[in-house]
Amino acid sequence: MRVLAIVPAFNEERSLAAVVAAIRQARPGVDVCVVDDGSTDGTAAVARSLGVVLLSNAINLGIGGAVQVGYLWARDHGYDAAVQVDGDGQHDTSFLGALLEPLASGRADLVVGSRFAGDHADGFRSTWLRRMGIRYLCGVLAIRCGARVSDPTSGFRAASRTAIELFAESYPSDYPEPESIAVAARQGLRVVEVPVRMRQRAHGASSITPLRTLYYLVKVTFALALLPNPSPVRPSEGAEVHR
Amino acid sequence: MNYREAIPLEQQVLSVLALGTFLLWVFHLVRTQRLSLRDSLLWVVTTLVAAVFAVFPPVLFWLSKLLGFRTPSNALFGGAVLYLTLNVLYNTVSGSLSAARVRRLTQECAMLRAEIEAMRRDRSRPGAAT
Repeated sequence: MRVLAIVPAFNEERSLAAVVAAIRQARPGVDVCVVDDGSTDGTAAVARSLGVVLLSNAINLGIGGAVQVGYLWARDHGYDAAVQVDGDGQHDTSFLGALLEPLASGRADLVVGSRFAGDHADGFRSTWLRRMGIRYLCGVLAIRCGARVSDPTSGFRAASRTAIELFAESYPSDYPEPESIAVAARQGLRVVEVPVRMRQRAHGASSITPLRTLYYLVKVTFALALLPNPSPVRPSEGAEVHR
Repeated sequence: MNYREAIPLEQQVLSVLALGTFLLWVFHLVRTQRLSLRDSLLWVVTTLVAAVFAVFPPVLFWLSKLLGFRTPSNALFGGAVLYLTLNVLYNTVSGSLSAARVRRLTQECAMLRAEIEAMRRDRSRPGAAT
């Protein structure tokens, strides 16, 4: 199984090297692609020095647009699976194997790493208020598309070839995590979750503020209510294999 | 109904002059390629419709009566607000479309750049086929 690790990074020069090293140590056979989403710091230079595939967005597209470049690359270069790992070091790469296992055994198309499944009570689980927001989103997702997940905002996830092709075609733009689960579930993809641990970010500030949290919840609710109709997944034409 | 009481001649002249200037401005924008011909048609048609009302007020009077407005000016304001609202909505839609296109092009550029970098690395490798 050829696996691509997609590492979205926006001004993550300080944590990027450690993230890539951790991925390579956890899964030596995995190709790493860093998506530099219009960073103004040395993120691109760090990525070049690491010898990874560097996808540089000239304009900051936000997390959705950034991750989607990774899926486009995975689709065009014939990867069987892709795994998203944030460039800020929040995701514990020792769970990469657990994330990829349901794909390897063919029992899932999208595997979401959840902080709330299982019993990794020692990890970072965010604040009480945000956990309430997350539970609310779980409810909306279950009602809207029947997806049963406990951590819909998690960006630590793995996608099968089918999911790669779907996300390359259509991936939601600004707050994409819960919406992309809905897109996949409505397309008939099998969504499962596995327990993972997350860490508090090592460097830099979180982009989340209370007002933004509220905006986030309203926007995602709206987005889930107005999901576009499922489209037939077309097999990618002329998928070339790179080297 | 005598429309001369509602619209004095001076106002009629002023309206026609204003609309004519506006139309010339739109033509100027098209000629200097700041507005596409396609997008200018909407404004040309709008201006012409307004000009018809200004030159032949009975048309407006008849239309407002037909639609049940109490005064023709209400019909004019109501119509203008509705028209402008639709116009702004249309502009927002084309803004969204442009944003989606910019997103897609940015992604394509990122991938092409990565391909080029990979090719350059391959070529500069010692013993590479020339």
